[in-house]
Amino acid sequence: MADVKTQDFFAASQASVLDPVLRRALVKVGTGFDGSRRDAIQEITPQRWEEWREDARRIKAHTMDHLDYYLDLLEQNVAKAGGQVHFAADAAQANAIVAHIAQTRGVKVVTKSKSMVSEELSLNPVLESVGVEVFETDLGEYIIQLAGETPSHLVAPALHKTKEQVSQLFYDKLGLPYLENIEDLARAAREVLRQRFLDADMGISGANFLVAETGTLVIITNEGNGRLCTSAPRIHVGITGMEKVIPSLRDLAVFLRLLPRSATGQRISSYVSMVTGPRRASDEDGPEEFHLVLVDNGRSTMLADPELREALYCIRCGACLNICPVYKKVGGHAYGWVYPGPIGAVVSPSLVGLKQAEALPQASSLCGACREACPVKINIPRMLLHLRNELAESPDTQVKATSDSATLLARGYAWIMSHPAWLRFAHRAARTMQKPMLLLPFSPLVKGKSGIGKARLPLLSQWTRSKDLPLLPPRTFHEIWKKELSKTPPSPPAGA
Amino acid sequence: MTQPLGIPKHQFLESVRRSLQRAPGPPESPHPGLNDTLVHLEEQAAAAHRRLQTARPQLMDQLARVAALRDWHVYRADGPEEAIGYLSSLSSTLGITQCVRTAQDVFEEVPIDAPLLAQGVSVTTAALAAGTTRESVRTGIAEAGLGITGADYAIAETGSVILLPRQGLSRLASVVPPVHVALVRPQDVVESIDDLFLFRSLEYSRGGGDMGSYLNFITGPSRTADIEQTLVVGVHGPKEVHMILLG
Repeated sequence: MADVKTQDFFAASQASVLDPVLRRALVKVGTGFDGSRRDAIQEITPQRWEEWREDARRIKAHTMDHLDYYLDLLEQNVAKAGGQVHFAADAAQANAIVAHIAQTRGVKVVTKSKSMVSEELSLNPVLESVGVEVFETDLGEYIIQLAGETPSHLVAPALHKTKEQVSQLFYDKLGLPYLENIEDLARAAREVLRQRFLDADMGISGANFLVAETGTLVIITNEGNGRLCTSAPRIHVGITGMEKVIPSLRDLAVFLRLLPRSATGQRISSYVSMVTGPRRASDEDGPEEFHLVLVDNGRSTMLADPELREALYCIRCGACLNICPVYKKVGGHAYGWVYPGPIGAVVSPSLVGLKQAEALPQASSLCGACREACPVKINIPRMLLHLRNELAESPDTQVKATSDSATLLARGYAWIMSHPAWLRFAHRAARTMQKPMLLLPFSPLVKGKSGIGKARLPLLSQWTRSKDLPLLPPRTFHEIWKKELSKTPPSPPAGA
Repeated sequence: MTQPLGIPKHQFLESVRRSLQRAPGPPESPHPGLNDTLVHLEEQAAAAHRRLQTARPQLMDQLARVAALRDWHVYRADGPEEAIGYLSSLSSTLGITQCVRTAQDVFEEVPIDAPLLAQGVSVTTAALAAGTTRESVRTGIAEAGLGITGADYAIAETGSVILLPRQGLSRLASVVPPVHVALVRPQDVVESIDDLFLFRSLEYSRGGGDMGSYLNFITGPSRTADIEQTLVVGVHGPKEVHMILLG
């Protein structure tokens, strides 16, 4: 299984916030994918969008509640089409299955299209250890494979890299001239990988959906690498989590509408490839063998918990990442495992263990934007609260319901809020003092760009570590209300 | 065929069932759209065909409009001669010397081999026939500057061309050459993804449960936004795609 660094979230997120190159790479997250997503929703109308989300959620909920039945149906139909399904309880089994298929069939070269599950399992090193050369072919995955890194986004794995970094990487690893232009970089990757597609003995793909009714594996890509990986080599191995199954072919339609719009704002991706078994005798080309590896690896634990089951509805579109105020600041790597962002903060603790990932449920402001953006309406904030609750009640984690200083702060806050005269006094005192304090030499308060840049006082010092503390305003709401607003006559009720 | 690896299916399903605290068996209430009877599917398909028949002209317009938005170069040909004319001038503009085409029915309606040959473009047919091997078909495709296919369906909602293996069609002809041209006949245009899946469900049901090895959607050129979320056209698939609407 992939290395787990979820325990380092706080240190890693602080490092991310201070990394100027990463900040630059993350700038476009909100405007790029998320902006296009919003446009796409407006185009088909929010009302229609809501209907699609309801449909999709209903289908996913029904499937998860009867998952054993649909997995059985899927297996029967894959077998009927001449393919073979393998069931893997954990990462080690899944990797062993793929390595075994490769070894027994003399596979030397593998081309891969993007698969987050294979990242979760750390499949590539296992294949390499048995002498198989593995080439990632999705441009983003190819970049991070060259860099020896892990994906930082569900849809755009190399989102954390600037084009200058990619240029340098291609220069260092591929001996290419330093290419400034993104188009030239993409073209260079095409040239390098072109021959690999035709040479490969085995293609490995993930699956966006599996249709139980027909035994069909569905992958959605824009580059065309997925189609090449599943068409050119003599063996195709699909590897994916068991939750990807949906009941019928006709259920697929709504997901083909939701996924690309949620992921990149595209109305449909360039390539939807639906594979059912290996090539038939009458086919011109295509793989001679089709294998499907279905992976549990902790998913049945999520399934068993009614509070967490809906995390398995996720279609990995990345919309919750693109909209998350935490993800947009810290990037994907800070989350410490394969699945970043809000959905990662739910999935990772379930798959790697809550104790190991105890920081992740805290990595959220619970603003609810992820739930709004989710195409299958997964209630991520509710699950984060559930996990926080579990952590607080568990004896063997570091997390306490409240720390001593927080308890003290809360008590102080409660006291002053219930004593209006003291509140007014404290407010006036602080606001009179703050300006002169900023000017005094050796003051515990140092002026920043927009308020207090540094506070050498308990609790406040933590705030100013990464951002300025705003100054108290010259007038409180109470004061404004008393002086002005209370004298404005209320507007007459509508219809009067 | 080897034995499945990993753990046996029954053991895997048993563990899922334990998680769900559920007894084996189908869902208590059947899922809509699954296990539709053949009669019911035929009724729905007949109704859909009637709807598509009436709406044909509007659907052609919609397809042309949406496909253009998805970055197809759309050309509406008034008859086979115009389609051939478009292909000829495209080949000469792009300086194509080698092209590959599939063996679909549409090429009987639009015979392109002779006119292309006449202007010095060699045409390989990506189909297994006497004297060809899978390897030679593949080499032909890899060397071609242009891939020409028909379309089993085209979807007006999405601007997509659908390719199925049933007509002896190479999977690679539409994705390996740098330029792809798809010939679309009016009778193959459907309104929505739902229409496509309804017709496929019916064929699946009629055909005793064979889906065919693939069903491929093509919507516009190959593209990526993997570097700085900046859109680039033409990564692993074609950078340029043309849709010729016959009518």
